[in-house]
Amino acid sequence: MHNALRSRTWLLLWIAVATLASGLLTAAGAAASESADAPSFRRDVMPVLFRAGCNAGTCHGSARGKDGFMLSLFGYDPKGDYARIVNDIPGRRVNAAVPEQSLLLLKALGAVPHTGGKLFDKDSDLYKTLFRWIEAGAPDDAEAVPQVVGITLPKESVVFKKIGGHGVARVTAQFSDGTSRDVTSLARFFSNNPSVATIDADGKVTAVAPGDTNVFARYSRFTVGSEAIVLPPEEGFTWPNPPANNFIDTLVFDRLQQLRIIPSDLCDDETFLRRITLDLAARPPSIEEYHAFMADTKPDKRAKKIDELLAADAFADLWATIWSEHLRIIGGNYAPQATHVKAADVFQEWIRAQMRSGRPLNEFVADMVASSGSNLSNGPANLYTMMLHQVRVEPKPLAADFSQLFLGVQIQCAECHNHPFDRWTMDDYYGFVSFFTGIKRKNGIEPRERRIYFDTSVEPAKHLVDGRPMPAKVLGSVEPVGGDGDPRKALAAWLTSPNNEMFSRNLANRIWAQLLGRGVIDPVDDIRVSNPPVNAPLLDALSKRLVEVKFDLRSLVREICNSRIYQLSSRPNASNARDTRQFSHRHLERLRADTLIDSVVAVTGVPRKFEGFLTGTRAIDVYPKTSGDTAGPHYGDPFFHTFGRASRATVAAAETKLEPTLSQALHLAVGDSVRDRLTAGGVVKKLIETKSTPEDIIDELFIRTLSRRPTTEEMTGMRELVGDDVKDQAVYEDIFWSLLNSTEFLFNY
Amino acid sequence: MPSRSSHSPAGRPDQRGCQEFRSLMARVSRRHAVQAGTFGALGLSLGDMLRLEARGEASNEAFQTTKGASSSTPAKAMSVIQLHLGGGFPQHESFDPKPEAPVEYRGSFGVVKTKNGDVFSDNFPKTAAITDKISIVRTVVGKIPDHGLATYHLFKGYTPTAVIDYPAMGSIVSHELGGRGELPPYIAIPNQSAFVGGTGFLSSTYGPFELNADPGQKGFKVRDFSIPEGVPLDRFDRRKKARDLVQRRIRAMEADPATLDTMDDFYKSAYTLLTSKDAQKAFTFEGESEDTFKLYGNDTTGSVRGPDGKYHTKGLAERLIMARRLVEAGTRFVTVTYGSWDSHVDVKKSCLEQMAPLDAAIAGLITDLDQRGMLDTTLFWLTSEFGRTPKVNGDSGRDHWARNYSMLLAGGGIAKGVIHGVSDSTGGEPARDAVPLEDIQFTIYNLLGVDANKELVAFGTRPIEIIKDGNLVKGILS
Repeated sequence: MHNALRSRTWLLLWIAVATLASGLLTAAGAAASESADAPSFRRDVMPVLFRAGCNAGTCHGSARGKDGFMLSLFGYDPKGDYARIVNDIPGRRVNAAVPEQSLLLLKALGAVPHTGGKLFDKDSDLYKTLFRWIEAGAPDDAEAVPQVVGITLPKESVVFKKIGGHGVARVTAQFSDGTSRDVTSLARFFSNNPSVATIDADGKVTAVAPGDTNVFARYSRFTVGSEAIVLPPEEGFTWPNPPANNFIDTLVFDRLQQLRIIPSDLCDDETFLRRITLDLAARPPSIEEYHAFMADTKPDKRAKKIDELLAADAFADLWATIWSEHLRIIGGNYAPQATHVKAADVFQEWIRAQMRSGRPLNEFVADMVASSGSNLSNGPANLYTMMLHQVRVEPKPLAADFSQLFLGVQIQCAECHNHPFDRWTMDDYYGFVSFFTGIKRKNGIEPRERRIYFDTSVEPAKHLVDGRPMPAKVLGSVEPVGGDGDPRKALAAWLTSPNNEMFSRNLANRIWAQLLGRGVIDPVDDIRVSNPPVNAPLLDALSKRLVEVKFDLRSLVREICNSRIYQLSSRPNASNARDTRQFSHRHLERLRADTLIDSVVAVTGVPRKFEGFLTGTRAIDVYPKTSGDTAGPHYGDPFFHTFGRASRATVAAAETKLEPTLSQALHLAVGDSVRDRLTAGGVVKKLIETKSTPEDIIDELFIRTLSRRPTTEEMTGMRELVGDDVKDQAVYEDIFWSLLNSTEFLFNY
Repeated sequence: MPSRSSHSPAGRPDQRGCQEFRSLMARVSRRHAVQAGTFGALGLSLGDMLRLEARGEASNEAFQTTKGASSSTPAKAMSVIQLHLGGGFPQHESFDPKPEAPVEYRGSFGVVKTKNGDVFSDNFPKTAAITDKISIVRTVVGKIPDHGLATYHLFKGYTPTAVIDYPAMGSIVSHELGGRGELPPYIAIPNQSAFVGGTGFLSSTYGPFELNADPGQKGFKVRDFSIPEGVPLDRFDRRKKARDLVQRRIRAMEADPATLDTMDDFYKSAYTLLTSKDAQKAFTFEGESEDTFKLYGNDTTGSVRGPDGKYHTKGLAERLIMARRLVEAGTRFVTVTYGSWDSHVDVKKSCLEQMAPLDAAIAGLITDLDQRGMLDTTLFWLTSEFGRTPKVNGDSGRDHWARNYSMLLAGGGIAKGVIHGVSDSTGGEPARDAVPLEDIQFTIYNLLGVDANKELVAFGTRPIEIIKDGNLVKGILS
């Protein structure tokens, strides 16, 4: 009862704010639309087409239209839409003489066959607006009509304390003449997770089940969201008040407490050691490291271990490979693509040197963005060979990959229409493409060499709708960067500036996701209005911190790893077992392909040869080399393919696949990675020679493979398997096999 | 959400297809059959024991079904063989030749009369002679003429969205029907098409088992598919026992039970496949006669040389024989990929190179299934992500076209001798009986006895229809 009351208060408040906002500001708009004047095409008719879904991508908004009638997607081209509706087939779509015979109306009413079916009734406002417009002669707008400059919802967040609770999201649109009006009846709505909260066509939000999601309203080219939280019952919930190690814990705990989710306990030392070593050094801890860490009784031993691993080369090498995957380094021998093995080596080595030296990430990126010169001697210039793997530099795909990688934003939708679920317009897109239109390559001194340069005589990209040239301009800006030289210097400066939150948030989110298995925004490379962070204060703080530490990778990683959140156990409790996105407990994550094979090598002591690399090279240092063309997916090794290492065919984060498959189980069970290594490294043989009891051998095999002691049950069971012949190599190899094939070995947990 | 960065067209098309499609093909052609030991002689009794244990039912509790008007009827088909022609298969050069269209539209070849009184492009004489056993749909309507998006649509029944990743049909069939025996219910020969992506919101348990080896290549052997020599079955059994013991600790932690189930299911399947004589045999050509290979046209070559300068068959006959063997052994859904059809440049050459073996293999498979009494329970489905433009372009090629194209279906409750739908005079738009792609998928689910109106539950709580707003294509039902 108490809950219900409180919930209602919340909602009333929410609606009250909404009403207040619209009540104050909508007078002008409402008066205009009810006046005797004919409806305006842009202000009144276009919104009807949007609301009824006529110009959606699946209907007439598709690139070729539908059933012979095309509209611009979500109305990005009102002028063209006017021509297609009124002038294309005079007298048919709109018939000013007999308005009710207009096809536009008949189709929408379902009075004549219409693939889209019936969209509204004759007594609806949508119908009346269209009718009055046609009746008035379907006039085009004589003068500029105020444009929508933004839309708002009354609250950024609404909390439901009870399933079935509801409220209404009223949408207010702001116009370029300074007026506002309530456009709820003309907006479209959707929920990111209708199983938590639904939103209907009138903006009514209903709580369905405990959880958190976002509901969105769309109007004109704008999308705006509001968080919807549905709380689980308060009974039985007591916040345990766990200690916070740093700002990360404070912010995640705030969120969990708000959502009534109890975090898991801290993980034990064995688990921590294995987790941190896999995450920072891409290998399991050695036996010596295990014993040293377990014997250490100092309270700060975890922090010290983190520092030790951060200082080691393996940390830098892992991040060099992560960047190498994103930047799509593949070495070939097909000269026109400028991606010869030698160029790949130079680029990879340059990246590794930056990571090892602790180069600030913004400087690292800026170097690449502004670079020119030889692909064989100037490593960073290979941003303009490897990202593309094409014979010519194609500015559009380059711009798309560039923004996806460095900003986490996918702007390519805006090539043909304003981004339907984000703020990017076609102006943004073409202005951004123009940073790359002048990038060219010319032949170098030797056949493998290409020199990257910017040709300032090349015209900027042209806008798709009206063909006007769009000089280089950064995303979200109105003015071009100007100047008549290479605009990439301005691009690099803007991109990597401490003031560019898009950049620092993207990097912070990617670093977080690498360590926690999931981004605060996930997927990390699809940041948009309709894919908001699950914990906005956390992402803001991580991003701010990255700027404060001057883009030092190790500093942010150190902070994350020292948080209690990073060190939580993967054992869930009743309250958090269903949580998959609020970092309430650690999730099982299969090891990356390279880390996995390196782990097998480390544990068995038998190296693995990779094509084109010296024996003994770790998988984490290997990138694909091919004898031919470097376009398309390349894995560099069948193991990498089977275990889902990024194929480097795209910059997408989803290239790295961690899902288990049957082929992986078969490969580990009988394939050559484990099969021959059980014996070849002599691990078992040496243990039989040096250890006095079967228990000691079993104990060491567990520590070696899983970085933990066997449980009593495991020890008893394994001892039984060994039986009387305590020097039988085969049985220990079988135990070794079982450890290497266990889920614990394959996963970080 | 898988990558959608293939969204933007990149590079210039050449004879090998547009840039995006070439990227895909590069991956396929680089695959090599990898040897993995020999099939050891297996002591049956112990193997059987392992297998019986291994066949313990996988728990599916994570996914329940919810309401939804049932569309299912008793199953007619037990299995599906999908032959996928990646790149965009030209309808004018195959099943909808438009011989009376203006020269810049009409198919690049002559025509051949079909047994049911229509015409095909004369690239398909053998298939034309068995049209009394198959159906053709000439008015399939797709959505997006982009390789990545259209392949996703074809395999999954939905176009990609930003929020939900959908499972492929084979995964849904696996999930709904399970296997009919010891074999994985969903198998890809030789590999899953690169654009299909993962198992969406279903667990990767329901993903395809990829052979990772091409049955059409000499010395074909499925990779990692036999117990190593020197490891007798009692040792293999001991390994399994030891692993079960190690699994208990993480099980007790109850961390991500679905992931643990998935891993253990894969190990169960692996034990079964490795120890079952029947399963091992299904993945070989043991007992197939030379006549069978001939029937599928393993010696039929194209009439022009391929990009590598050779005339060849590209192993389709062997892939389809393998598909038939797997279906015989109980697999529900087999996808076979063949060829490279993105003919932006010189569509005629692409056809001359690849269509003769295709024609022979289709006719061979249908005849073979029929002779073995399997045609009534095995649905054969010839697919491509879209068709090609009605008008030939300046490079004598045809570009991407999703608004109207052709598909061939046969068996498993599909009508015999039907040509469904009529395209307009240039083969660019449906003139009568348009069939949205979803309706074909809906119909196939229906014939398998899977209710396509049913809702699967994604992310634990979110209901999603298997096919949204699908309809039965009654005209192609027997």
